[in-house]
Amino acid sequence: MSQAPVVRLQNVSKRIGSRTIIDRLTLEVNPGEVFGFLGPNGSGKTTTIRMMVGLITMSGGDISIAGHSVKSAFPQAVSHVGAIVENPEMYKFLTGYQNLVHFARMNRGITKQRIDEVIELVGLQGRIHDKVKKYSLGMRQRLGVAQAILHRPSLLILDEPTNGLDPAGIRELRDYLRRLSREEGTAVFVSSHLLSEMELMCDRVAIIQKGQLIDIRSLRGETAETSQAMEEVLFEVDHPDAAIGVLEGRGAANVVEGGFTVTADRETIADLNRRLVMAGVRVYAIRTKIKSLEDQFLEVTGGETVG
Amino acid sequence: MANFWNLVRNENMKIYRRIATWIMMGFVVLVPVLLTVLFSIFSQGEKLNNWEMMLLESQILFQLITIFAVVKAAESVAGEFTMGTIKLLLIRPWSRSSILLSKFISVVLFALFFSVVGFAVTWLINVVVFGYVSDPAGLIPPNSPLTGSSPWAYALMSYLDQFIALVVVVTFGFMLSSAFRSSGLAIGLSIFLLLSGSIVSGLLAIADKPWVKYVLFPHLRLTSYLDGGSPVPNYPTTFAFSLGVLAVYFIIFNIVSWTVFTKRDVAG
Repeated sequence: MSQAPVVRLQNVSKRIGSRTIIDRLTLEVNPGEVFGFLGPNGSGKTTTIRMMVGLITMSGGDISIAGHSVKSAFPQAVSHVGAIVENPEMYKFLTGYQNLVHFARMNRGITKQRIDEVIELVGLQGRIHDKVKKYSLGMRQRLGVAQAILHRPSLLILDEPTNGLDPAGIRELRDYLRRLSREEGTAVFVSSHLLSEMELMCDRVAIIQKGQLIDIRSLRGETAETSQAMEEVLFEVDHPDAAIGVLEGRGAANVVEGGFTVTADRETIADLNRRLVMAGVRVYAIRTKIKSLEDQFLEVTGGETVG
Repeated sequence: MANFWNLVRNENMKIYRRIATWIMMGFVVLVPVLLTVLFSIFSQGEKLNNWEMMLLESQILFQLITIFAVVKAAESVAGEFTMGTIKLLLIRPWSRSSILLSKFISVVLFALFFSVVGFAVTWLINVVVFGYVSDPAGLIPPNSPLTGSSPWAYALMSYLDQFIALVVVVTFGFMLSSAFRSSGLAIGLSIFLLLSGSIVSGLLAIADKPWVKYVLFPHLRLTSYLDGGSPVPNYPTTFAFSLGVLAVYFIIFNIVSWTVFTKRDVAG
Protein backbone atom coordinates (compact mmCIF):
# COMPACT_ATOMS: atom_id res chain seq x y z
CA MET A 1 0.00 0.00 0.00
CA SER A 2 2.66 2.50 1.01
CA GLN A 3 4.59 1.91 -2.18
CA ALA A 4 1.70 2.46 -4.57
CA PRO A 5 2.41 5.78 -6.28
CA VAL A 6 0.55 8.76 -4.87
CA VAL A 7 0.23 10.42 -8.25
CA ARG A 8 0.18 8.83 -11.62
CA LEU A 9 0.11 10.85 -14.82
CA GLN A 10 -0.71 8.75 -17.83
CA ASN A 11 -0.31 10.14 -21.32
CA VAL A 12 -1.49 13.51 -20.14
CA SER A 13 -1.87 16.02 -22.97
CA LYS A 14 -3.12 19.55 -23.25
CA ARG A 15 -3.91 21.14 -26.55
CA ILE A 16 -5.19 24.65 -27.07
CA GLY A 17 -6.33 25.04 -30.64
CA SER A 18 -3.64 23.45 -32.76
CA ARG A 19 -0.90 24.07 -30.21
CA THR A 20 0.18 21.16 -28.06
CA ILE A 21 1.21 22.50 -24.69
CA ILE A 22 1.70 19.20 -22.92
CA ASP A 23 2.46 16.13 -24.98
CA ARG A 24 1.69 12.66 -23.55
CA LEU A 25 3.33 13.15 -20.19
CA THR A 26 3.67 10.00 -18.09
CA LEU A 27 5.21 9.90 -14.64
CA GLU A 28 4.68 8.68 -11.09
CA VAL A 29 5.49 10.05 -7.68
CA ASN A 30 5.91 7.75 -4.69
CA PRO A 31 4.98 8.37 -1.05
CA GLY A 32 7.63 10.18 0.96
CA GLU A 33 9.43 11.34 -2.13
CA VAL A 34 10.43 14.89 -3.00
CA PHE A 35 9.95 15.02 -6.72
CA GLY A 36 11.30 17.91 -8.74
CA PHE A 37 9.63 19.07 -11.91
CA LEU A 38 12.17 20.95 -13.89
CA GLY A 39 11.99 22.86 -17.11
CA PRO A 40 12.74 26.17 -18.72
CA ASN A 41 10.17 28.95 -18.55
CA GLY A 42 7.20 28.18 -20.74
CA SER A 43 7.88 24.46 -20.91
CA GLY A 44 4.52 23.53 -19.38
CA LYS A 45 5.28 23.10 -15.68
CA THR A 46 2.46 25.27 -14.41
CA THR A 47 0.05 23.87 -16.99
CA THR A 48 0.78 20.35 -15.75
CA ILE A 49 0.28 21.38 -12.14
CA ARG A 50 -2.99 23.10 -12.99
CA MET A 51 -4.20 19.90 -14.60
CA MET A 52 -3.19 17.91 -11.53
CA VAL A 53 -5.38 20.06 -9.30
CA GLY A 54 -8.24 20.33 -11.79
CA LEU A 55 -7.92 24.03 -12.56
CA ILE A 56 -7.66 23.20 -16.24
CA THR A 57 -8.98 20.22 -18.12
CA MET A 58 -6.87 17.60 -19.86
CA SER A 59 -7.19 17.12 -23.60
CA GLY A 60 -6.04 13.53 -23.27
CA GLY A 61 -4.85 10.99 -20.75
CA ASP A 62 -5.67 10.98 -17.05
CA ILE A 63 -4.16 11.80 -13.68
CA SER A 64 -4.92 9.75 -10.62
CA ILE A 65 -4.19 10.87 -7.09
CA ALA A 66 -4.31 8.24 -4.33
CA GLY A 67 -6.14 6.04 -6.81
CA HIS A 68 -8.87 8.56 -7.69
CA SER A 69 -9.13 10.04 -11.16
CA VAL A 70 -8.95 13.81 -11.28
CA LYS A 71 -11.32 13.66 -14.25
CA SER A 72 -14.08 11.45 -12.91
CA ALA A 73 -13.72 11.69 -9.11
CA PHE A 74 -12.38 15.19 -8.60
CA PRO A 75 -13.45 15.82 -4.96
CA GLN A 76 -12.01 12.48 -3.78
CA ALA A 77 -8.77 12.96 -5.70
CA VAL A 78 -8.19 16.55 -4.64
CA SER A 79 -8.96 15.85 -0.98
CA HIS A 80 -5.51 14.21 -0.83
CA VAL A 81 -3.81 17.26 -2.28
CA GLY A 82 -2.47 20.41 -0.73
CA ALA A 83 -1.13 22.95 -3.18
CA ILE A 84 0.21 26.38 -3.85
CA VAL A 85 -0.21 27.24 -7.50
CA GLU A 86 2.17 30.07 -8.34
CA ASN A 87 2.08 32.77 -5.70
CA PRO A 88 0.24 32.09 -2.46
CA GLU A 89 -2.57 34.58 -2.97
CA MET A 90 -4.69 34.79 0.15
CA TYR A 91 -7.60 37.05 1.09
CA LYS A 92 -5.74 40.22 1.99
CA PHE A 93 -8.64 41.80 3.86
CA LEU A 94 -8.82 38.82 6.24
CA THR A 95 -6.33 37.94 8.93
CA GLY A 96 -4.00 34.99 8.50
CA TYR A 97 -6.11 33.08 10.98
CA GLN A 98 -9.38 33.81 9.18
CA ASN A 99 -7.79 32.63 5.95
CA LEU A 100 -6.90 29.33 7.58
CA VAL A 101 -10.38 28.97 9.07
CA HIS A 102 -11.78 29.62 5.60
CA PHE A 103 -9.82 26.77 4.04
CA ALA A 104 -10.24 24.51 7.07
CA ARG A 105 -14.02 24.71 6.67
CA MET A 106 -13.73 23.33 3.17
CA ASN A 107 -12.25 20.04 4.36
CA ARG A 108 -13.67 17.59 6.79
CA GLY A 109 -12.33 17.10 10.27
CA ILE A 110 -9.87 19.95 10.73
CA THR A 111 -9.97 20.91 14.38
CA LYS A 112 -8.99 24.17 16.02
CA GLN A 113 -6.00 22.38 17.54
CA ARG A 114 -4.85 21.33 14.08
CA ILE A 115 -5.01 24.96 12.89
CA ASP A 116 -2.92 26.08 15.89
CA GLU A 117 -0.49 23.24 15.33
CA VAL A 118 0.03 24.24 11.70
CA ILE A 119 0.47 27.90 12.62
CA GLU A 120 3.22 26.90 15.02
CA LEU A 121 4.79 24.62 12.44
CA VAL A 122 5.21 27.46 9.93
CA GLY A 123 6.20 29.88 12.68
CA LEU A 124 3.44 32.47 12.27
CA GLN A 125 2.19 32.51 15.89
CA GLY A 126 3.16 36.14 16.45
CA ARG A 127 1.41 37.57 13.40
CA ILE A 128 -1.45 35.22 12.66
CA HIS A 129 -4.12 37.70 13.78
CA ASP A 130 -2.80 40.47 11.53
CA LYS A 131 -4.43 41.21 8.19
CA VAL A 132 -2.66 39.43 5.35
CA LYS A 133 -2.16 42.72 3.52
CA LYS A 134 0.40 43.60 6.21
CA TYR A 135 2.40 40.41 5.60
CA SER A 136 5.74 40.27 3.85
CA LEU A 137 6.13 37.91 0.91
CA GLY A 138 7.93 35.41 3.12
CA MET A 139 5.06 35.41 5.61
CA ARG A 140 2.53 34.94 2.83
CA GLN A 141 4.57 32.00 1.62
CA ARG A 142 4.40 30.49 5.11
CA LEU A 143 0.66 31.05 5.25
CA GLY A 144 0.45 29.43 1.83
CA VAL A 145 2.26 26.36 3.14
CA ALA A 146 -0.01 26.36 6.20
CA GLN A 147 -3.22 26.25 4.12
CA ALA A 148 -1.73 23.53 1.95
CA ILE A 149 -0.89 21.15 4.81
CA LEU A 150 -3.92 21.82 7.06
CA HIS A 151 -5.71 18.63 6.03
CA ARG A 152 -2.56 16.44 6.11
CA PRO A 153 -2.50 15.80 2.37
CA SER A 154 -0.63 12.79 1.04
CA LEU A 155 0.56 14.94 -1.85
CA LEU A 156 1.88 18.45 -1.56
CA ILE A 157 2.19 20.37 -4.82
CA LEU A 158 4.29 23.51 -4.87
CA ASP A 159 4.72 25.62 -7.97
CA GLU A 160 7.96 27.62 -7.93
CA PRO A 161 7.92 27.75 -4.12
CA THR A 162 11.18 29.61 -3.74
CA ASN A 163 10.07 32.57 -5.85
CA GLY A 164 10.59 35.72 -3.86
CA LEU A 165 12.03 34.02 -0.80
CA ASP A 166 15.32 35.14 0.69
CA PRO A 167 18.10 32.55 1.15
CA ALA A 168 17.12 31.91 4.76
CA GLY A 169 13.51 31.38 3.73
CA ILE A 170 14.51 29.01 0.96
CA ARG A 171 16.61 26.99 3.34
CA GLU A 172 13.83 26.82 5.88
CA LEU A 173 11.34 25.69 3.26
CA ARG A 174 13.76 23.05 2.03
CA ASP A 175 14.34 21.65 5.50
CA TYR A 176 10.67 21.72 6.17
CA LEU A 177 9.75 19.85 2.99
CA ARG A 178 12.35 17.19 3.66
CA ARG A 179 11.03 16.73 7.17
CA LEU A 180 7.47 16.48 5.92
CA SER A 181 8.40 13.80 3.40
CA ARG A 182 10.52 11.86 5.87
CA GLU A 183 8.30 12.04 8.94
CA GLU A 184 4.79 12.10 7.53
CA GLY A 185 5.46 10.23 4.31
CA THR A 186 4.05 13.11 2.29
CA ALA A 187 4.95 13.08 -1.37
CA VAL A 188 6.12 16.51 -2.46
CA PHE A 189 5.84 17.58 -6.08
CA VAL A 190 7.76 20.76 -6.63
CA SER A 191 8.32 22.67 -9.84
CA SER A 192 11.12 25.07 -10.44
CA HIS A 193 13.53 26.43 -12.95
CA LEU A 194 16.14 26.98 -10.23
CA LEU A 195 18.37 23.98 -10.74
CA SER A 196 20.68 24.36 -7.78
CA GLU A 197 17.61 24.57 -5.53
CA MET A 198 16.17 21.38 -6.91
CA GLU A 199 19.46 19.62 -6.52
CA LEU A 200 19.41 20.27 -2.78
CA MET A 201 15.74 19.52 -2.32
CA CYS A 202 14.72 16.60 -4.47
CA ASP A 203 15.11 12.84 -4.54
CA ARG A 204 14.21 12.61 -8.20
CA VAL A 205 13.66 15.14 -10.92
CA ALA A 206 11.77 15.05 -14.17
CA ILE A 207 12.91 17.40 -16.87
CA ILE A 208 10.41 18.69 -19.38
CA GLN A 209 10.86 20.86 -22.37
CA LYS A 210 8.26 22.10 -24.84
CA GLY A 211 5.67 20.01 -23.04
CA GLN A 212 7.54 16.75 -23.43
CA LEU A 213 9.19 14.66 -20.77
CA ILE A 214 12.87 14.51 -21.60
CA ASP A 215 14.31 12.65 -18.68
CA ILE A 216 13.66 11.42 -15.15
CA ARG A 217 16.69 10.97 -12.98
CA SER A 218 17.49 10.16 -9.41
CA LEU A 219 19.63 12.60 -7.47
CA ARG A 220 20.39 10.46 -4.45
CA GLY A 221 23.01 7.72 -4.01
CA GLU A 222 24.53 7.90 -7.44
CA THR A 223 27.48 10.19 -6.96
CA ALA A 224 29.56 7.94 -4.64
CA GLU A 225 29.98 4.62 -6.41
CA THR A 226 31.77 5.48 -9.60
CA SER A 227 35.14 3.78 -9.19
CA GLN A 228 34.89 2.06 -12.57
CA ALA A 229 33.43 5.02 -14.38
CA MET A 230 35.42 7.49 -16.39
CA GLU A 231 35.67 10.86 -14.76
CA GLU A 232 36.78 14.18 -15.97
CA VAL A 233 39.65 15.27 -13.73
CA LEU A 234 41.41 18.57 -13.39
CA PHE A 235 45.12 18.53 -12.52
CA GLU A 236 46.56 21.77 -11.20
CA VAL A 237 50.24 21.81 -12.15
CA ASP A 238 53.04 24.35 -12.54
CA HIS A 239 53.88 23.63 -16.19
CA PRO A 240 50.83 22.32 -18.07
CA ASP A 241 52.65 21.95 -21.38
CA ALA A 242 55.46 19.91 -19.85
CA ALA A 243 52.87 17.80 -18.06
CA ILE A 244 51.04 17.02 -21.30
CA GLY A 245 54.31 15.79 -22.73
CA VAL A 246 54.73 13.38 -19.82
CA LEU A 247 51.24 11.98 -20.35
CA GLU A 248 51.64 11.25 -24.02
CA GLY A 249 49.49 8.39 -25.19
CA ARG A 250 47.48 8.33 -21.98
CA GLY A 251 44.12 9.70 -23.12
CA ALA A 252 43.23 13.09 -24.51
CA ALA A 253 44.24 15.93 -22.24
CA ASN A 254 43.26 19.58 -22.61
CA VAL A 255 45.36 22.40 -21.34
CA VAL A 256 43.41 24.87 -19.24
CA GLU A 257 44.54 27.78 -17.17
CA GLY A 258 46.83 26.57 -14.37
CA GLY A 259 46.71 22.92 -15.40
CA PHE A 260 45.00 20.44 -17.68
CA THR A 261 41.95 18.19 -17.71
CA VAL A 262 41.86 14.58 -18.63
CA THR A 263 39.17 11.90 -18.75
CA ALA A 264 40.23 8.72 -16.99
CA ASP A 265 39.19 6.11 -14.43
CA ARG A 266 40.37 5.98 -10.81
CA GLU A 267 43.44 3.80 -11.24
CA THR A 268 44.67 5.74 -14.22
CA ILE A 269 44.40 8.97 -12.30
CA ALA A 270 46.72 7.65 -9.57
CA ASP A 271 49.07 6.39 -12.25
CA LEU A 272 49.11 9.74 -14.03
CA ASN A 273 49.94 11.48 -10.80
CA ARG A 274 52.90 9.22 -10.12
CA ARG A 275 54.29 9.86 -13.60
CA LEU A 276 53.94 13.60 -13.24
CA VAL A 277 55.71 13.64 -9.91
CA MET A 278 58.49 11.46 -11.19
CA ALA A 279 58.95 13.75 -14.17
CA GLY A 280 59.43 16.67 -11.80
CA VAL A 281 56.08 18.37 -12.48
CA ARG A 282 54.65 19.93 -9.35
CA VAL A 283 51.05 18.82 -8.79
CA TYR A 284 49.04 21.17 -6.57
CA ALA A 285 45.62 19.57 -6.74
CA ILE A 286 43.62 16.84 -8.46
CA ARG A 287 39.92 17.49 -8.67
CA THR A 288 37.08 15.40 -10.08
CA LYS A 289 34.62 17.56 -11.94
CA ILE A 290 31.15 16.43 -10.82
CA LYS A 291 28.53 17.42 -13.27
CA SER A 292 26.01 19.60 -11.53
CA LEU A 293 22.34 19.28 -12.28
CA GLU A 294 22.69 22.51 -14.15
CA ASP A 295 25.20 20.98 -16.55
CA GLN A 296 23.03 17.91 -16.96
CA PHE A 297 20.00 20.07 -17.52
CA LEU A 298 21.68 22.19 -20.13
CA GLU A 299 22.94 19.02 -21.73
CA VAL A 300 19.52 17.45 -22.12
CA THR A 301 17.67 20.62 -23.02
CA GLY A 302 20.37 21.73 -25.39
CA GLY A 303 20.87 24.96 -23.49
CA GLU A 304 17.61 26.49 -24.58
CA THR A 305 16.06 28.88 -22.16
CA VAL A 306 12.57 29.22 -23.60
CA GLY A 307 10.90 26.11 -24.91
CA MET B 1 -17.39 15.93 2.20
CA ALA B 2 -17.91 18.67 4.71
CA ASN B 3 -21.15 20.52 5.18
CA PHE B 4 -22.32 22.73 2.30
CA TRP B 5 -23.35 25.42 4.76
CA ASN B 6 -19.65 25.89 5.54
CA LEU B 7 -19.16 27.19 2.01
CA VAL B 8 -21.89 29.77 2.51
CA ARG B 9 -20.35 30.76 5.84
CA ASN B 10 -17.05 31.29 4.05
CA GLU B 11 -18.67 33.50 1.45
CA ASN B 12 -20.49 35.42 4.17
CA MET B 13 -17.22 35.93 6.00
CA LYS B 14 -15.68 37.36 2.85
CA ILE B 15 -18.61 39.77 2.49
CA TYR B 16 -19.02 40.97 6.07
CA ARG B 17 -15.34 41.15 7.03
CA ARG B 18 -14.89 43.92 4.51
CA ILE B 19 -15.25 47.48 5.69
CA ALA B 20 -16.85 48.41 2.35
CA THR B 21 -19.87 46.27 3.24
CA TRP B 22 -20.53 48.28 6.38
CA ILE B 23 -20.07 51.55 4.54
CA MET B 24 -22.79 50.35 2.18
CA MET B 25 -24.94 49.55 5.18
CA GLY B 26 -24.30 53.08 6.40
CA PHE B 27 -25.76 54.43 3.15
CA VAL B 28 -28.83 52.21 3.40
CA VAL B 29 -29.52 53.61 6.86
CA LEU B 30 -28.53 57.22 6.23
CA VAL B 31 -30.21 57.87 2.88
CA PRO B 32 -33.83 57.32 4.08
CA VAL B 33 -33.16 59.20 7.31
CA LEU B 34 -31.71 62.11 5.38
CA LEU B 35 -34.53 62.17 2.84
CA THR B 36 -37.22 62.15 5.52
CA VAL B 37 -35.55 64.83 7.59
CA LEU B 38 -34.90 67.07 4.58
CA PHE B 39 -38.45 66.58 3.33
CA SER B 40 -39.98 67.45 6.67
CA ILE B 41 -37.87 70.61 6.88
CA PHE B 42 -38.21 71.90 3.34
CA SER B 43 -41.64 70.77 2.18
CA GLN B 44 -44.12 73.60 2.49
CA GLY B 45 -47.73 72.56 2.41
CA GLU B 46 -46.92 69.19 0.73
CA LYS B 47 -48.59 66.53 2.78
CA LEU B 48 -47.25 62.98 2.81
CA ASN B 49 -48.00 60.40 5.44
CA ASN B 50 -45.47 57.88 6.76
CA TRP B 51 -46.46 55.16 4.23
CA GLU B 52 -46.29 57.43 1.19
CA MET B 53 -42.86 58.69 2.19
CA MET B 54 -41.70 55.16 2.93
CA LEU B 55 -42.64 53.90 -0.53
CA LEU B 56 -41.13 56.95 -2.21
CA GLU B 57 -37.86 56.27 -0.44
CA SER B 58 -38.02 52.56 -1.21
CA GLN B 59 -37.49 53.29 -4.91
CA ILE B 60 -34.20 55.09 -4.26
CA LEU B 61 -33.27 52.56 -1.63
CA PHE B 62 -33.70 49.60 -3.96
CA GLN B 63 -31.59 51.20 -6.66
CA LEU B 64 -28.91 51.60 -4.03
CA ILE B 65 -29.21 48.05 -2.70
CA THR B 66 -29.25 46.62 -6.23
CA ILE B 67 -26.01 48.40 -7.06
CA PHE B 68 -24.44 47.25 -3.79
CA ALA B 69 -25.53 43.65 -4.34
CA VAL B 70 -24.20 43.72 -7.91
CA VAL B 71 -20.88 44.99 -6.58
CA LYS B 72 -20.86 42.07 -4.14
CA ALA B 73 -21.76 39.61 -6.90
CA ALA B 74 -18.94 40.96 -9.04
CA GLU B 75 -16.46 40.75 -6.16
CA SER B 76 -17.62 37.30 -5.26
CA VAL B 77 -16.77 35.68 -8.59
CA ALA B 78 -14.63 38.02 -10.71
CA GLY B 79 -12.88 39.30 -7.59
CA GLU B 80 -11.53 35.84 -6.78
CA PHE B 81 -9.99 35.71 -10.25
CA THR B 82 -8.50 39.18 -9.91
CA MET B 83 -7.04 38.39 -6.50
CA GLY B 84 -5.82 34.99 -7.67
CA THR B 85 -7.52 33.30 -4.72
CA ILE B 86 -9.69 31.27 -7.10
CA LYS B 87 -6.71 28.91 -7.45
CA LEU B 88 -6.88 28.10 -3.76
CA LEU B 89 -10.66 28.00 -3.66
CA LEU B 90 -11.20 25.51 -6.47
CA ILE B 91 -8.62 22.95 -5.35
CA ARG B 92 -10.78 21.77 -2.45
CA PRO B 93 -12.95 18.66 -2.35
CA TRP B 94 -15.96 20.49 -3.73
CA SER B 95 -17.43 20.64 -7.20
CA ARG B 96 -17.35 23.99 -8.92
CA SER B 97 -21.16 23.96 -8.95
CA SER B 98 -21.23 23.89 -5.15
CA ILE B 99 -18.76 26.76 -4.93
CA LEU B 100 -20.79 28.83 -7.39
CA LEU B 101 -24.07 28.04 -5.62
CA SER B 102 -22.62 29.07 -2.26
CA LYS B 103 -21.55 32.37 -3.78
CA PHE B 104 -24.96 32.99 -5.30
CA ILE B 105 -26.73 32.19 -2.05
CA SER B 106 -24.47 34.51 -0.06
CA VAL B 107 -25.10 37.38 -2.48
CA VAL B 108 -28.88 36.88 -2.36
CA LEU B 109 -28.69 36.72 1.45
CA PHE B 110 -26.75 39.97 1.39
CA ALA B 111 -29.47 41.61 -0.71
CA LEU B 112 -32.18 40.19 1.57
CA PHE B 113 -30.39 41.42 4.68
CA PHE B 114 -30.02 44.92 3.25
CA SER B 115 -33.63 44.99 2.04
CA VAL B 116 -34.94 44.00 5.47
CA VAL B 117 -32.79 46.67 7.11
CA GLY B 118 -34.00 49.15 4.49
CA PHE B 119 -37.64 48.27 5.23
CA ALA B 120 -37.10 48.65 8.97
CA VAL B 121 -35.29 51.99 8.63
CA THR B 122 -37.79 53.53 6.21
CA TRP B 123 -40.70 52.40 8.35
CA LEU B 124 -39.18 53.61 11.60
CA ILE B 125 -37.90 57.02 10.53
CA ASN B 126 -41.16 57.94 8.82
CA VAL B 127 -43.25 56.85 11.78
CA VAL B 128 -40.99 58.88 14.04
CA VAL B 129 -41.16 61.99 11.87
CA PHE B 130 -44.67 61.85 10.42
CA GLY B 131 -46.51 59.68 12.94
CA TYR B 132 -48.31 56.41 12.27
CA VAL B 133 -51.33 56.38 9.95
CA SER B 134 -53.48 53.27 9.72
CA ASP B 135 -55.81 54.60 6.99
CA PRO B 136 -54.77 53.42 3.50
CA ALA B 137 -56.57 56.29 1.75
CA GLY B 138 -54.26 58.16 -0.64
CA LEU B 139 -51.70 55.36 -0.49
CA ILE B 140 -53.52 52.61 -2.37
CA PRO B 141 -55.03 53.75 -5.68
CA PRO B 142 -58.71 52.86 -6.22
CA ASN B 143 -58.04 50.39 -9.08
CA SER B 144 -55.24 48.56 -7.25
CA PRO B 145 -55.73 44.84 -6.68
CA LEU B 146 -54.93 45.52 -3.05
CA THR B 147 -57.76 48.01 -2.54
CA GLY B 148 -59.23 47.51 0.89
CA SER B 149 -56.08 45.96 2.35
CA SER B 150 -54.01 47.49 5.08
CA PRO B 151 -51.07 49.80 4.33
CA TRP B 152 -48.83 47.05 5.73
CA ALA B 153 -49.88 44.64 3.01
CA TYR B 154 -49.36 47.26 0.32
CA ALA B 155 -45.93 48.31 1.61
CA LEU B 156 -44.73 44.73 2.06
CA MET B 157 -45.97 43.81 -1.42
CA SER B 158 -44.17 46.78 -2.92
CA TYR B 159 -40.90 45.80 -1.19
CA LEU B 160 -41.32 42.20 -2.29
CA ASP B 161 -41.86 43.22 -5.94
CA GLN B 162 -38.78 45.38 -5.87
CA PHE B 163 -36.78 42.64 -4.21
CA ILE B 164 -37.72 40.16 -6.94
CA ALA B 165 -36.56 42.62 -9.61
CA LEU B 166 -33.35 43.12 -7.62
CA VAL B 167 -32.63 39.39 -7.59
CA VAL B 168 -33.00 39.23 -11.38
CA VAL B 169 -30.61 42.16 -11.91
CA VAL B 170 -28.13 40.66 -9.44
CA THR B 171 -28.32 37.32 -11.26
CA PHE B 172 -27.51 39.19 -14.45
CA GLY B 173 -24.48 40.79 -12.77
CA PHE B 174 -23.47 37.43 -11.37
CA MET B 175 -23.59 35.93 -14.85
CA LEU B 176 -21.42 38.67 -16.34
CA SER B 177 -19.04 38.37 -13.44
CA SER B 178 -18.46 34.68 -14.03
CA ALA B 179 -18.52 34.96 -17.83
CA PHE B 180 -16.09 37.84 -18.21
CA ARG B 181 -14.23 37.52 -14.91
CA SER B 182 -14.20 41.28 -14.84
CA SER B 183 -15.99 43.02 -12.02
CA GLY B 184 -16.00 46.38 -13.79
CA LEU B 185 -17.92 45.06 -16.77
CA ALA B 186 -20.37 43.17 -14.56
CA ILE B 187 -21.09 46.20 -12.39
CA GLY B 188 -21.32 48.59 -15.33
CA LEU B 189 -23.71 46.54 -17.43
CA SER B 190 -25.91 45.68 -14.46
CA ILE B 191 -26.30 49.34 -13.58
CA PHE B 192 -27.17 49.96 -17.20
CA LEU B 193 -29.86 47.28 -16.95
CA LEU B 194 -31.11 48.86 -13.76
CA LEU B 195 -31.26 52.43 -15.03
CA SER B 196 -32.19 51.98 -18.68
CA GLY B 197 -35.50 50.27 -17.89
CA SER B 198 -37.72 53.27 -18.51
CA ILE B 199 -35.86 54.36 -21.67
CA VAL B 200 -36.07 50.89 -23.15
CA SER B 201 -39.74 50.68 -22.21
CA GLY B 202 -40.23 53.93 -24.12
CA LEU B 203 -38.48 52.49 -27.16
CA LEU B 204 -40.58 49.35 -26.94
CA ALA B 205 -43.70 51.47 -27.00
CA ILE B 206 -42.52 52.85 -30.34
CA ALA B 207 -41.63 49.39 -31.66
CA ASP B 208 -45.15 48.18 -30.89
CA LYS B 209 -44.56 44.55 -31.81
CA PRO B 210 -46.04 41.55 -29.97
CA TRP B 211 -42.58 40.30 -28.89
CA VAL B 212 -42.05 43.34 -26.69
CA LYS B 213 -43.98 41.43 -24.05
CA TYR B 214 -41.00 39.12 -23.66
CA VAL B 215 -38.33 41.76 -23.26
CA LEU B 216 -36.84 41.79 -19.77
CA PHE B 217 -36.65 45.52 -18.99
CA PRO B 218 -40.31 46.51 -18.42
CA HIS B 219 -41.02 43.48 -16.24
CA LEU B 220 -38.51 44.71 -13.69
CA ARG B 221 -41.14 47.32 -12.76
CA LEU B 222 -43.44 44.83 -11.06
CA THR B 223 -44.80 47.54 -8.77
CA SER B 224 -46.84 48.97 -11.63
CA TYR B 225 -49.33 46.12 -11.03
CA LEU B 226 -49.84 47.41 -7.49
CA ASP B 227 -51.30 50.62 -8.88
CA GLY B 228 -53.60 48.75 -11.22
CA GLY B 229 -51.43 49.16 -14.32
CA SER B 230 -49.09 46.84 -16.18
CA PRO B 231 -45.44 47.35 -17.12
CA VAL B 232 -45.35 46.72 -20.90
CA PRO B 233 -46.62 49.67 -22.95
CA ASN B 234 -49.57 48.83 -25.27
CA TYR B 235 -49.58 45.18 -24.25
CA PRO B 236 -51.43 44.53 -21.01
CA THR B 237 -49.94 41.60 -19.12
CA THR B 238 -50.75 39.90 -15.86
CA PHE B 239 -48.63 39.76 -12.74
CA ALA B 240 -48.18 36.01 -13.19
CA PHE B 241 -47.02 36.55 -16.77
CA SER B 242 -44.37 39.03 -15.62
CA LEU B 243 -43.18 36.64 -12.94
CA GLY B 244 -42.94 33.93 -15.59
CA VAL B 245 -40.86 36.15 -17.89
CA LEU B 246 -38.55 37.07 -15.01
CA ALA B 247 -38.22 33.40 -14.03
CA VAL B 248 -37.17 32.45 -17.57
CA TYR B 249 -34.50 35.15 -17.62
CA PHE B 250 -33.41 34.16 -14.12
CA ILE B 251 -32.95 30.55 -15.23
CA ILE B 252 -31.11 31.51 -18.43
CA PHE B 253 -28.72 33.79 -16.54
CA ASN B 254 -27.98 31.03 -14.04
CA ILE B 255 -27.41 28.41 -16.72
CA VAL B 256 -24.91 30.69 -18.44
CA SER B 257 -23.07 31.42 -15.15
CA TRP B 258 -22.97 27.77 -14.24
CA THR B 259 -21.82 26.58 -17.67
CA VAL B 260 -19.02 29.10 -17.91
CA PHE B 261 -17.89 28.71 -14.32
CA THR B 262 -17.77 24.93 -14.29
CA LYS B 263 -16.34 24.39 -17.76
CA ARG B 264 -13.76 27.04 -18.30
CA ASP B 265 -10.06 26.59 -17.52
CA VAL B 266 -8.53 28.67 -14.78
CA ALA B 267 -5.29 29.77 -16.39
CA GLY B 268 -3.04 32.78 -16.19
